[in-house]
Amino acid sequence: MLDGIGGDIENYMTLLSAREKVVASNIANADTPGYQTEDVDFSSMLDSATGEAESPKVVHPAGLRVKNDGNNVDLDREARLLAENALRFNVASNLLRSQLQNIKTALQDGGQS
Amino acid sequence: MSSLFSSMDVSASGMSAERTRAEILVENLANADTTRTAEGGPYKRKDVVFQSGEVGSSFSTILGDQMEQGGTGVQVSQVITDPRPPDMRYMPGHPDADKDGFVAFPRVDPAEDMVDLLGTSRSYQANVAAVSAIKDMIQRSIDLFR
Repeated sequence: MLDGIGGDIENYMTLLSAREKVVASNIANADTPGYQTEDVDFSSMLDSATGEAESPKVVHPAGLRVKNDGNNVDLDREARLLAENALRFNVASNLLRSQLQNIKTALQDGGQS
Repeated sequence: MSSLFSSMDVSASGMSAERTRAEILVENLANADTTRTAEGGPYKRKDVVFQSGEVGSSFSTILGDQMEQGGTGVQVSQVITDPRPPDMRYMPGHPDADKDGFVAFPRVDPAEDMVDLLGTSRSYQANVAAVSAIKDMIQRSIDLFR
């Protein structure tokens, strides 16, 4: 019962927290010479999100401007991802909470009648 | 969840590296006119070299992080001294003047260091924003228990 619904959301949250780590690492390395921006292959992981949450594939996104020191971190991009991640995580945690709430209600009503 | 805690380590490494950089930059500004040092000669301008690498508290290492892929922190790998020659100023009355009356002053350009300091401050703020976002996500996970 819980695995069917909560399991997918849990995998999704695991994926989001993995992405959060990558974004945090990009921000931390914003001044590191030669550092290449990392990202998790989010869309393909999301397509197979119903499957097992394996360790996400790390990719280097293309099309970012490379600075003179070989670093291509775009702080605006990372700030957007940070906000997007927080919102996605918010949605997922609220969904999971309402699922748990439903099950709790079902259990309590079963006890009363 | 453990991935979220290790993300905080990554951001903390960024904050620590930026703080070290700020310390070096203000040292340069403070010593802009220093003509005597312990090594002899005028003060030499310093700068930091950042290097990305694995971070992790011993705690998360013991815990065995499943999300090993991706996410590297940053450290100050070395502090370099500026190789540019000192700024020679003609001050015959100065006790450190050479026989021609020139005094070697450090080659510190306050504008250069101030601009770097602004960049450091912005990067530090970006890391703080990341920490507060991660903290929020952890709090949301905890709220599931209620």
